[in-house]
Amino acid sequence: MKKPTLKTMAAYAGIYFFVTAGSPALAVESVKVTVNGMVCAFCAQGIEKGLMGMPAAKLVFVDLKKKVVAVEAKDGQKLDPQKITAEITDAGYDVVKLEIVQLSVADIKAAAKAQK
Amino acid sequence: MKRLFASLALIASAYAQAGPMGFNGSTMAMGDFSLNWQEAWVNHAVTPRDAFGAGVVVMRSDDKRSASQLSRTFSELTYTRLLHRINGEHSQANFWFMGGAGRLTGNNFGDSKTMLAPGVSADYETTRFYSSATVRLYRAPGINHDFVSARTGFSFYEADYDEIQPWLILEARRMRGLSEKTEITPMLRLIHKRYFVELGVNSMRQARANFMYIF
Repeated sequence: MKKPTLKTMAAYAGIYFFVTAGSPALAVESVKVTVNGMVCAFCAQGIEKGLMGMPAAKLVFVDLKKKVVAVEAKDGQKLDPQKITAEITDAGYDVVKLEIVQLSVADIKAAAKAQK
Repeated sequence: MKRLFASLALIASAYAQAGPMGFNGSTMAMGDFSLNWQEAWVNHAVTPRDAFGAGVVVMRSDDKRSASQLSRTFSELTYTRLLHRINGEHSQANFWFMGGAGRLTGNNFGDSKTMLAPGVSADYETTRFYSSATVRLYRAPGINHDFVSARTGFSFYEADYDEIQPWLILEARRMRGLSEKTEITPMLRLIHKRYFVELGVNSMRQARANFMYIF
């Protein structure tokens, strides 16, 4: 078996970069929302269920202590911040801040756990 | 007779435990069990603010003399409305209307009676503190057992949504025409996601267990 040359390795690297750079699977995006009034498990459950009912939602994480709700988009899909706001507001809570972050729900959850 | 409808008042106290209804589209089931009281109800939230339900309460007075011991069964249809909510940065306050209507039967009167039970409740809570007050009228021809209760308590520690959170809750209540005493019940409350359990012993030294589950 031939040893790979520097040229072939560079070619493989180029192909890998080309394939992965355009892949939406690696471009994880979540919507992070700060919610007022979310103080109990039952509140969190209602918000979680409502958001998971959105077609583009893959995962939802609720941090009661920080009053944060994070929603991760399904691969290749975009979350609609307005719809998320409406879902939370209709459930009876107030959205005070909304940001789009390039993090997965698992990352946000891990960061929240690490800070406790 | 005095303590007979003490049990009935548990409906209202149950309403004040963690909100009388779940989130939109959810179904909430509740049970409340003690020596002189067995109760179950279920309601379904048709909007984030409105729920319809039904419940049955079977209760008896707690006097030991069987000849004078009274029993009651109250079957009701209920409507619950979230009148107003105030969301704070770390708190939530709610104002509720609860209406009930149904048939009341008992062992000291013949035909069943129509009972109406409107009430209002207010609660304020944070992740560590809880308080509520409830007033509910229980009216049927010849029967008036209006009820008032207050609850307060704290959580031993702040918990994540996916963890069990223990609380100590203290309830005080009085019932018109039932007892001149204010009944005090300390309870251990456990909340975890979809369920809610309370265990306690009241000032009459009777064990009590409540549960709530949201589908």
